[in-house]
Formats: sequence, C-alpha cells, structure tokens
Amino acid sequence: MNIILTITKNTFRQAIRDKILYGIVIFGFLFMGSAVVLSSLSLGEEVFVARNFGIAGIYLFGLVITVFLGASAIYEEIEKKTVYFTLSKPVSKSQIVLGKFFGLLFSTGLIMFLMALAYLAVVFYIGGGGDYKIFLIILLQLMETGILLGLLILFSTFTTPLAAIIYTILIIYIGHLLSLIQNYAAKSAGPAAKIILTSLYYLMPNLEKFNIRSPVVHNYPISVNELALSLTYAILYIAIAVYAARFVFEKRDL
Amino acid sequence: MIEIKNISKTYNGTDNVIDRLSLSIRSGSVFGFLGPNGAGKTTAIKIAVGLNSPDEGEVLIGNGSPFRSETRENIGFMPEEPHFYEQLTGLEFMKFTNDLFDRNRRSSSEEIDEILEKTGVYKARNKKIRDYSKGMKQRLGFAQALVNNPNYIFLDEPLEGLDPIGRIEIKKILANLKNKGKTIFFNSHILADVENICDQIGIIHRGRLIYSGPVAEFKKNKSLEEQFVETIRGFSRQ
Repeated sequence: MNIILTITKNTFRQAIRDKILYGIVIFGFLFMGSAVVLSSLSLGEEVFVARNFGIAGIYLFGLVITVFLGASAIYEEIEKKTVYFTLSKPVSKSQIVLGKFFGLLFSTGLIMFLMALAYLAVVFYIGGGGDYKIFLIILLQLMETGILLGLLILFSTFTTPLAAIIYTILIIYIGHLLSLIQNYAAKSAGPAAKIILTSLYYLMPNLEKFNIRSPVVHNYPISVNELALSLTYAILYIAIAVYAARFVFEKRDL
Repeated sequence: MIEIKNISKTYNGTDNVIDRLSLSIRSGSVFGFLGPNGAGKTTAIKIAVGLNSPDEGEVLIGNGSPFRSETRENIGFMPEEPHFYEQLTGLEFMKFTNDLFDRNRRSSSEEIDEILEKTGVYKARNKKIRDYSKGMKQRLGFAQALVNNPNYIFLDEPLEGLDPIGRIEIKKILANLKNKGKTIFFNSHILADVENICDQIGIIHRGRLIYSGPVAEFKKNKSLEEQFVETIRGFSRQ
C-alpha cells in the first residue's frame, strides 16, 4: 500500500508540473470565463446558457486532460526506461499500474475540481446563486475519467500514445452511443449484426451512465439508485481494465 | 554471493541474446562484465536484477531469487544511460526511490544528503533533473543505487559520460564500497577502469561467456585492452 502511495504521489507530482498541461488548463479557464460573455448575448437565459456552457467546458477539458495524461502512462515509462528504477526495487508491476492510475486520477480530479470552482464563480457572478450540483456532475465525470484512464493505461502497456488516443476517442464516441446501438440491434439488425452489436454493447463502457449534465441543467430529479448503480458499474469496469493492464504489462519484456 | 546458473534468453523467439550463461561472483568482490556492443551484457544485468526473466536457468543473489521483493530490498541497480522523471528535482527523486524500500532499509534525510554529497549531486539537489547535464544524471543514477545501503550493487556502464574527475570520484566510491564488503557487478566499455577496480572479470561475446576469472590471468602480460580485442577477434573469426 505504501509503495502504491509513493508511486501515486510521484505520478501526481510529475503530472501537475507538466507545462503542456498548464496550457490546456489555462484554455479551460478561459473557456469558462467566456461563458460570462456568451451568456450576456442571450435574452433572459443568461444563467441557463452559462451553466450549459460551463458544464460542457468542464467535461470537454476534463476529457482532453485525461487523454493527454493517460495515453503515455506506461509507454513512456518503458520507452524512457524510468521503469528500470522502480522495478529493480521491491516494487511489482501491479503496484506501478495502480500507482499510475491513482496518480493520474487525482491529477485530473484536482483540475476538474478547480474548474468546478471557476464554474461556481461564473454562475454566481451572473446571478445563478450557488449551483452546487456541479460536484455531483464532477463525481460522475470522475467515474468516467477513471474508466478512460484504466483503458488508456491498458493501451499504453502495448501501444504508442497516438494509437492509445485514437482507441480512446473511438471508445468515448461509441460509449456515449451504446443505447442507440442496443436499440438498433434489437429492432433492425440481422442475426450476425445483432450478435456483433450486442457484444459491443456489453464489452464497451456505457459512458452515458455518467452523464447527468442534462438533468442537472434542466433541474430534473436524479435517482439515488441510478447513481449507486453507475458508481458500482464504474468501479467494476475500472477494476477489469486495471487488471488487464497489469496482466499485459506483466507479460512484457523490458 | 551472486550465482547466475545456465541462463538463456531469446527475444522474439529467435535471437539468442544470452546462451547458457553461468557465473559465480563471491561476496565482497568487484566483478567487471565486458563484451562488445550487443554481446548481451545489458540483457544479463537486467535478468540478474529481476527486470526480465530468463527463458531457462536461474539467478540467485544471496541465495534469493531477484524476483522476490525480499531479495530486491538488498539490491542497488543503476541502468545504462539513465532516464529520469524530468519534472522532479534530484532530491525529490532520491526520496522517491528511497520510499520504495521497506522502512528498515530506507536512508534518513541526512544519509540521503551524504550520498548526494559523495556522488557530487548535493549542490544541484534542488534543481529539476531536466536541467542536469549527462554527467550529473549519471551521478544521480549512481546515487539512487546506494539509497538502500544494498549489499549487492549492479551498475550498467556507470562511468559512461563522466569526465575524468567524475570517473575518479566514482571509482573511489566503488573502492570504498568494496572495502565495506559490498558485492559489485558492473558492465563497462572502459577497460582501463575495469583493470583498476575489478577482482574478476567475465567476457561475453554473442551471448556466450568466453572467459571468467581474475584480470591478471586473462591479460597474460598484455594490456587488458589488447588482450580483450585479440580475444574477441579470435572468437569472431570462428
């Protein structure tokens, strides 16, 4: 546990000192600030526009940061041989994978939290009061981020960062369309396509489970059971992805 | 004692990088592992410290497998041309590597400072590693191999990239470590340095061990470099 914590701290420290990350974060905050200008263009819907824009910004920049940090997690360790320092010590590959995962999750979580504070400031400034449901959105987005980081770490054990980014973007795209795919498989697809699409439905992460942005913006109620189910689903999916990453990494020669 | 017993390693199932390599290195001695580029030195050292597993054979370090964490608590390893987490400072990196060991093997802050002082990194300890020169990185790589006060020290090309003063300093530290009873296994291209420090040498060529024993016995009244080149050429002709 202590070793995982040490690797987590090191990964976190490395991540938050990255200058490219600073660039992305600054753009994120500018995007958030531009919600003030944009909302002023709408007639009587300032708060609604600012909330929509701000929440979308947190999601979008959260995704960019997740992909940026996760794509080279293990790949860079192997290519740059920094992993030689850790693995020649009493450290296992599982501990490296877990330490990397938590380090990156904390880094993205911290940035999303800071963006949420900026969002609160913007909404408050426009006159929308304290929109504290943003933290629920962030919690679920963090679950999605966890799944994506697990998959990115898995990809980074056997492929290049560019390929890992492409696979992840495809998964994000498919992961948000799974209910459509399931509907299509049930109603319109032929037998072979039905098997493929149904397999895809169960294999790919259903990222829409973590999307409560629309209900929050429109002030619809959110079911606690649904939330608990989404959290359980995320934890299971993350566990499988991280275990698979550890399995592939274990098989790799250095 | 370091025992390498009949290890073989192939990459991609075909290239035999290490072919039935056996070595026995007694405790408290300095062993130089020599060979031309691509001979299998780095592969052998990586197997010895448990970074890669051999296809056949086994390695025992103080009677323990390097794949066991108890054994690795007592190993120091410096990789060839070390690359670091560039965003960290030298001191942060030392503390990071120190924290990977069991509490009773870790160095105190004062001991870390002492290691950094000895290896010549102390003055630059608060600078980011990305601003270090090649020689400084080499020194830091050496420093982290000593952080757990190991009995078995494996160094892959430790003198590479160092200026003459740096080489003298590192050789002095190696001599001190030897006097303290540490067992040192190192790969090197710089034969003059090997000649100065080592009790025994091993020569590997195309994955096979072609000599293992005292330096003087190998040299036969020639310089180590001359004898080395002659031996390798002789084997290359075969």
